[in-house]
Amino acid sequence: MSTNAESLHSLNVSTTASSRSQTAVRDVATVPWYVWCGVVAVTSASIGGAWDVSWHRSIGRDSFWTPAHMAIYACGVLAAIACSYLIFATTFGSSESLKRVSVKVLGFRAPLGAFVAAWGGIAMLTSAPFDNWWHNAYGLDVKIVSPPHTLLILGIRAVGVGVLFLILAAMNRANEAGGLAENSFRSLQRLFLYMGGLIVSGQMFFLMEYTWDVSLHNSTAYVALAVAIPVVLAMISRASQHRWAATIAASVYTIFLISEILILPLFPAQPKLGPVYFQVTHLVPAKFPILIIVPALVLDLIWKRTRSWKSWQVALLSGAVFVAVLVAVQWPFASFLMTPAAANRFFGTMYFDYNSPADGVDRLRLFWNAQQGAALFRGLAIAAICGSISTWIGLGFGGWMRKVQR
Amino acid sequence: MKAFRAALIWGLLFPLTALAHVGSKDVFQQVTAGQYKLFVTVRMPNVIPGVANVEVRSTGAPVSSLSITPLPITGEASKHPPTPDAMKASAVDPAFFTGGVWMMSSGSWQIRLQIAGTSGEEVVSVPVPAVAIATLQMQRNLGLPLAFLGLFLVISMAGVIGAAVREARLPAGETPTPRLRHRGLVATIAGLAIMVLAVWGGAKWWNVEAASYAEGIYRPPAVSAMLSGNLLDLRVKELVAGDRWEAKSSAALILDHGKIIHLYAIRMPEMDAAYHLHPDYDAPSDFRMALPAMPPGEYFLYGDVVHANGFPETLTAKLEVPADMLGAPAGPDDAYAHPTSVDQGPLGNSYKLPDGYSMVWDKPETLTANTAYSFRFHLLAPDGSAATDMQPYLGMAGHAAFVKTDGTVFAHTHPDGSAAMPALMLANGMAGGMEMPSGPLTNVVEFPYGFPKPGAYRIFVQMKHGSTVETGVFDAAVQ
Repeated sequence: MSTNAESLHSLNVSTTASSRSQTAVRDVATVPWYVWCGVVAVTSASIGGAWDVSWHRSIGRDSFWTPAHMAIYACGVLAAIACSYLIFATTFGSSESLKRVSVKVLGFRAPLGAFVAAWGGIAMLTSAPFDNWWHNAYGLDVKIVSPPHTLLILGIRAVGVGVLFLILAAMNRANEAGGLAENSFRSLQRLFLYMGGLIVSGQMFFLMEYTWDVSLHNSTAYVALAVAIPVVLAMISRASQHRWAATIAASVYTIFLISEILILPLFPAQPKLGPVYFQVTHLVPAKFPILIIVPALVLDLIWKRTRSWKSWQVALLSGAVFVAVLVAVQWPFASFLMTPAAANRFFGTMYFDYNSPADGVDRLRLFWNAQQGAALFRGLAIAAICGSISTWIGLGFGGWMRKVQR
Repeated sequence: MKAFRAALIWGLLFPLTALAHVGSKDVFQQVTAGQYKLFVTVRMPNVIPGVANVEVRSTGAPVSSLSITPLPITGEASKHPPTPDAMKASAVDPAFFTGGVWMMSSGSWQIRLQIAGTSGEEVVSVPVPAVAIATLQMQRNLGLPLAFLGLFLVISMAGVIGAAVREARLPAGETPTPRLRHRGLVATIAGLAIMVLAVWGGAKWWNVEAASYAEGIYRPPAVSAMLSGNLLDLRVKELVAGDRWEAKSSAALILDHGKIIHLYAIRMPEMDAAYHLHPDYDAPSDFRMALPAMPPGEYFLYGDVVHANGFPETLTAKLEVPADMLGAPAGPDDAYAHPTSVDQGPLGNSYKLPDGYSMVWDKPETLTANTAYSFRFHLLAPDGSAATDMQPYLGMAGHAAFVKTDGTVFAHTHPDGSAAMPALMLANGMAGGMEMPSGPLTNVVEFPYGFPKPGAYRIFVQMKHGSTVETGVFDAAVQ
């Protein structure tokens, strides 16, 4: 493949624009190929992750070569190859326009996002032999959160953030250029919000063990959500400059999980590990999505009206609002999920793991450790504080990202 | 009081080697189901959860398909097996099948084989004790590349953080100001510090995980062997209680061939005196008996017991027998042998017994570690003819103990194989009494077994004719 500016950045060159905007537009991307690669890579990891969890809940046993694992590692391979190519092309190629929008890391030049995503890809690929050794040394997968899995998840997250940077840099340049770059800005912004949604999904994936539907009458779930979600929503909102950024990102997560419930049970599966307390016949999907879309919508409305506020003031309000709104909608909704009315193809509360015992809270549809009174209030207050800190970090990082040009 | 002079010798624990048998984790079992006859080898994993590899050779009625399922022998989980896995028939030998099953937790498991073939469908189970026995060390050829990649990830991330602060927000084509360069440098150093901290945290986490795994590694119960005159008291800590992985209800001991314990005492390092004894059990933690006359010296003790859930264990201890110990009369089921010392060269394939009989081993030309064999022994009368009036010894046609000369391997096996008989019966739903061998016994007995590692082994084989229990002794050099 030949390397020149055109092949890497499809350009919208305007011959009539002024010299300043000509320069700016020349550095503007529509949607560069490597951004598409990154988006496909992260989508592949998200699908692979969901598939893998379903595999473990339905079939139980796996090997390195399951399609779910391949989908996850494809993310690392794709990111590592595409970004390494971009790094080598920028460093050793002759394209001045590529070099103009690059940063320098360890003597190499490329857009910042390329380095971050390549780092993620290499981290993911490093985790594979490490994870394999881990299984041989300490036993096969019994938990999601182990050192090699954490490296893998960090890698996936870095690919995601790297792709966000790649999109953002192009987006911010397009925004500055204005005019003809407006369309590019819009397409890039849509991709950015989609990627943000996948990052929200990734965070929710990591919280799965804390946010099981039977745990939703306990403040621990809300503390976990307040720690992990506002930071991403605030970052996406600030960085994307989109009025409904948080809502859109939360809807990507919501649609992703509902699709999982609708699609996965179409595929037959049999448990290959015992004891089999629940006769699984098809792939078990995720639990119904947490209704973070509602607080996300409220946060979007708040952030629109508080643009003149200081970050800490916005964060303080947002943390409390996030938790209050989430509890207000999720608490009664969780009660609904415990009823037979939710045991259908849409809400999917009749799907259980093969090893879910008949007398367990999940099968009995009972809340685990339901809290009330002072303990609950204390827990939710902690959640609100965590939510505020989380928002504050997200706003700060998002603000910084908004100015990323390279 | 000289006769009652107490000799208190505390047994020493063998390091991390025992479970059922000592240092011999694989199970070699001959099973019969209807017209089918299968030689099953289960190669147990070193870590749990882990994959047990199963090999089956069919020697009876032709088998068209075999499937395997792992499940605990007792308890609620034993009633909920997963979907069986089909075994793969060898392309060159259709009577040889291979497959793998996941052993998900420590305990007393079975592998259930579903057989289909010309003689219809049959089901038979092989009991397997599942325990983690080791922690794998990282090999240099994996560790070095991983360390290099880890270092690269740390340094490159610090570089990325520096670059992000230095030039990521600069408009296209502009070069960073000295102030930005300085801030970039500070960010690189801070990034490096964060990454080093993350690696340090990761290493701590790794250590915690490794320590928690190490806690789950099988440790044989602590045994002390005390001798008072000729009275042996084997005292066991935490055999049926304590926080071992067994539930208390399933930890109680059950009879194995009519005995609660089968104790081998072998004088080391000579291996020139070996006893198969049966102490009485004073529950929950003492085994006692009056020892027969034994030459003085250091003995390694290996005591096989079986728990109520079918989990077999070998209790190990060392015992110093003093020169002045007066021996008690041997019990009717006790057996012993006094071969020449191992340092006087290997014993031959024919072992001369004290009463003029001899035992002969059809020894394979070469013996290699981890290969499944069926070792055949014959008992011959003094005139060289096949011994007659063969009797079961402790319910079986024979008993054999395979012992490595350094004491690190001990396996007490039977003609059915190396699984404990009560476990085999529990797994196959044959509750209650002993199952006597069917049909008249011959003077030939076979023991399925595979040596776990290369080295020199001594084999003790017991067969019974009339009222005499014979113990033949053989040496094996395993490559």
